[in-house]
Amino acid sequence: MIKSYIKIAWRNLRRNKAYAFINITGLSLGIASSILIFILIDYHLSFDDFHKNSDRIYRVVTEWHDETIDRSAAVPQPLGKALRNDFTFGEKVARSVSFHNPLITLPNEKEIKKFAEKDGVAFTEPEFFDIFNFPLIKGNKKTVLVQLNEAIVTQKIAQKYWGTDDVIGKVIRLDNRISFTITGVLKDLPPNTDQKQQIYLSYKNIIEYASQQRENNWGGVNSESKCYLLLKPSVPVSVANANFKQMVNKYYTGRDQKVWMFKLQPLADIHFNTDFDAFVDKKYLWALFFIGVFLIVTACVNFINLATAQALNRAKEIGVRKVLGSMPRQLFWQFIAETTIITLVADALAYVIAWLVLPLINQLFQSQMQFNNELLPLFLVVMTVIVVFLSGSYPGVILARFQPIEALKSKLSQKNIGGFSLRRILVVTQFAISQVLIIGTIVIVSQIHYSKTSDLGFDKQAIITLPIPNDDNGKMKTLHNRLGQLNGVKDISLCYQPPAANSNSTTDIYFNNRPEAEHWGINIKAGDDHYLSTFDIKLVAGRNILPADTTSEFLVNETFVKKLGLKSPDEVIGKKLSVNGKTISGLIVGVVKDFYNYSFHSEISPICIMPNTNYYSNYALKLSGSNFKASLTNAEKLWNETYPDELYDYKFLDDQIAEFYEMDDVLMKLVEGFAAIAIIIGCLGLYGLVSFMALRKTKEIGVRKVLGADVGNILWLFGKEFSRLLIIAFVIAAPVAWWAMTNYLKDYQYKITIGPSIFILSILSTFIIAAVTVGYRSMLSARANPVKSLRSE
Amino acid sequence: MLSLQHISKYYQAGGNKNYVINDISLDVDEGEFVSIMGPSGSGKSTLLNIIGMLDEPSEGYHYFVNEAVHQLKEKKRAALYKQYIGFVFQAYHLIDELTVYENIETPLIYQDVKGSERKAMVADMLDRFQIVGKKDLFPAQLSGGQQQLVGIARALIAKPKLILADEPTGNLNSKQGEEIMELFSKLNKEDGVTIIQVTHSEKNAEYGSRIINLLDGRIESSRKF
Repeated sequence: MIKSYIKIAWRNLRRNKAYAFINITGLSLGIASSILIFILIDYHLSFDDFHKNSDRIYRVVTEWHDETIDRSAAVPQPLGKALRNDFTFGEKVARSVSFHNPLITLPNEKEIKKFAEKDGVAFTEPEFFDIFNFPLIKGNKKTVLVQLNEAIVTQKIAQKYWGTDDVIGKVIRLDNRISFTITGVLKDLPPNTDQKQQIYLSYKNIIEYASQQRENNWGGVNSESKCYLLLKPSVPVSVANANFKQMVNKYYTGRDQKVWMFKLQPLADIHFNTDFDAFVDKKYLWALFFIGVFLIVTACVNFINLATAQALNRAKEIGVRKVLGSMPRQLFWQFIAETTIITLVADALAYVIAWLVLPLINQLFQSQMQFNNELLPLFLVVMTVIVVFLSGSYPGVILARFQPIEALKSKLSQKNIGGFSLRRILVVTQFAISQVLIIGTIVIVSQIHYSKTSDLGFDKQAIITLPIPNDDNGKMKTLHNRLGQLNGVKDISLCYQPPAANSNSTTDIYFNNRPEAEHWGINIKAGDDHYLSTFDIKLVAGRNILPADTTSEFLVNETFVKKLGLKSPDEVIGKKLSVNGKTISGLIVGVVKDFYNYSFHSEISPICIMPNTNYYSNYALKLSGSNFKASLTNAEKLWNETYPDELYDYKFLDDQIAEFYEMDDVLMKLVEGFAAIAIIIGCLGLYGLVSFMALRKTKEIGVRKVLGADVGNILWLFGKEFSRLLIIAFVIAAPVAWWAMTNYLKDYQYKITIGPSIFILSILSTFIIAAVTVGYRSMLSARANPVKSLRSE
Repeated sequence: MLSLQHISKYYQAGGNKNYVINDISLDVDEGEFVSIMGPSGSGKSTLLNIIGMLDEPSEGYHYFVNEAVHQLKEKKRAALYKQYIGFVFQAYHLIDELTVYENIETPLIYQDVKGSERKAMVADMLDRFQIVGKKDLFPAQLSGGQQQLVGIARALIAKPKLILADEPTGNLNSKQGEEIMELFSKLNKEDGVTIIQVTHSEKNAEYGSRIINLLDGRIESSRKF
């Protein structure tokens, strides 16, 4: 019986090639998308789930409860030690402090090799490897990183540096200052971990590398100073969190006791909690999940639509089968068998498509998702069953219910196949889904365009930054002068960071001899007297700072003035300002116009600009338009002459700013892609449906033409129907899309408004797409010779 | 074998009942060959469909092999019908997607006959109708007469006691028609199959052992030979 079902199904498909093509294409696009979304979601959910006791692993995080609540994924450096000495709830405690982009050299090799490690190095306590499941393939886990000057590296690094895993005893040198001997080799870290460092160094060396002051400083948090903890099984999280209160009372005084707070963050939360440093918010995974469901539903809708529309053509076959003794149940299963074959073919195609596209998605996310996901086969099976029954049941029931006599006499009509209303609802669903995705795409594209092209309050064009790699002030000044004299360099500034940057330094402030620190922090943009001219920042009051090596003068921004509760910028001029725990003080000499110092996701901060050589870590060069390449080469040459031991690296400011929107770009591309797929599936279905409609209306069209209707009238027969459906769909889609996209825009502090133009654009584009799809087929019927269509009746 | 008593079939049109079949009573014994004649619209096909249980009467009693069909549930009726009745159509109604072999085989599949047995039965039938050479062709590749042969073979494959034929020769030329009627006659005489056919042709009607003339849904006359 089954064999016969399959055989018939196969022949039916081959006979109705267009029908099969539309269904298989639509379904395979939908399934391929859902496979990719599945892999993506599964990948993100699998982050750091491979550690033993992963439910007991926590990260200690910091919160500051003041006017607002600020959070950091890091803690004061001495916290880990205090935790180990003063409290017992941690079975294991490990500190890990990482540094990005250090210079690694191999001193003992024949020729000196230099590497800039993007993921950086981490000074790590040995317990780290008891808490996390990162096995050593070489070296003794019990003794590794215990002594000073030890290092362990991953296989990948070992291969990259020496071309072998056998690297115990080899030496690496960090920033030309400290040497470390390799005492262990780690198995390569799996892609699904948020621990990115590949080089781990003895924690004890951090005092030499950073400073003793930093190791003992409870007053500040360096964003890379992490502390992990394996909670004892018997201790509830709430008890541990309560203990932190004692710690705050012990190490802080005065108002700080109320402000500072430490908490345990579960390991599973780290990858998703964007209050801290998470990569992705779970809501985006949910959005993807729903997009996946949408796409599958649209593909199934196609299937149902075409199958029921086609049912009339199969009336005779069904009638004969019934007369020959087939039970409704058997006809139902026969149809399910057909659906299954279509779905299986679509599965196979989808599998290939997903396999081909996954590398592109990995590229987009810079991730390493694997296709050989162990849950994938199960997912495919479940998916197939759902698709088969979702799309096959209804047409199956309709077919099975045909009255044989009517079927044989071709007397079946719309009412026997569920009427047109069901199909109308389905088409409306499809249109609505496409429109939600189209509106989403338009909003995201507009917002990103707005973020990238709005006036940021400073100039970002033709500006490059070069690093100041060490503390040698003499070299810094020499190179500063030489770079400034280069042809094609319009202006140059020594600074900590450009006006908008990912690295920021925020400290407390004391204004005008007020007794207490303000309840908010200030973002310090250290820069010399050319900072304003290089970045074209406007002064609104006072004057620019004078050239100086230490801070005695400040510039502040308008937000600073507002935060103080003052009305006019002039009110702060000449007032005293102290920052960084009162270690730096001076007079405010000018106020600059606000500029966006973060991405549009964040609000503009209160900012001060001050000259201070200790802070400088970049040369910012404003280049003139002509002879760009020559300027770059010359700058590189000069830099390498000054710092022969360091690795040259330069960045364009506009690239750095574009990096702020990397995640948004990824999201945009994904939504664009899925919107395109939804539209393609929708068009396929629409085309199939209109073909069916044309067939059904052949006689009507013939009669109308004989009665004098012209092509336009006939086209309107089709247009009327679809225009109405489209408008209904729009009425459903618009509020849904508005709601979703308003939520999306909540992530931005500076954003576009979702105006009517976006909706108009969306409905227009859908209308054009639908018109093109429907138009061609309708045209064919409208121009058919009526004599022919009537004769056959 | 079959008894219709006061069978009527009507459609409600406004306040009026529009009778297609009007109070027909009819008994058919096993082994009979009945021809139903009458002008278009006299209710021939409807009567045949009621006998074949493809259509339900509005009123009346219907007995088939001693079962009260009008009281049977859908499922039971289908089972009864599967077991005893074979249909032959004017337009053949072969399934276009299936080969000759598969068309003939289909009723057996629906009766859960085992694969090996099916093979034997179909081979037997092909042999008997001398269409072995055509078993892998599709209906579109056959002439009308050949298609009707397949249709009859398909109707006979499940060894029905009763064959209902709705103008079986209507689409055929006279020579082909004659062959089909000869075949019916032989089936009736040699195999004892009961046959009820609807026909327009006086000549074909005379192959039967009884001719019933319908007019406006009533039996106008009935002749036995």
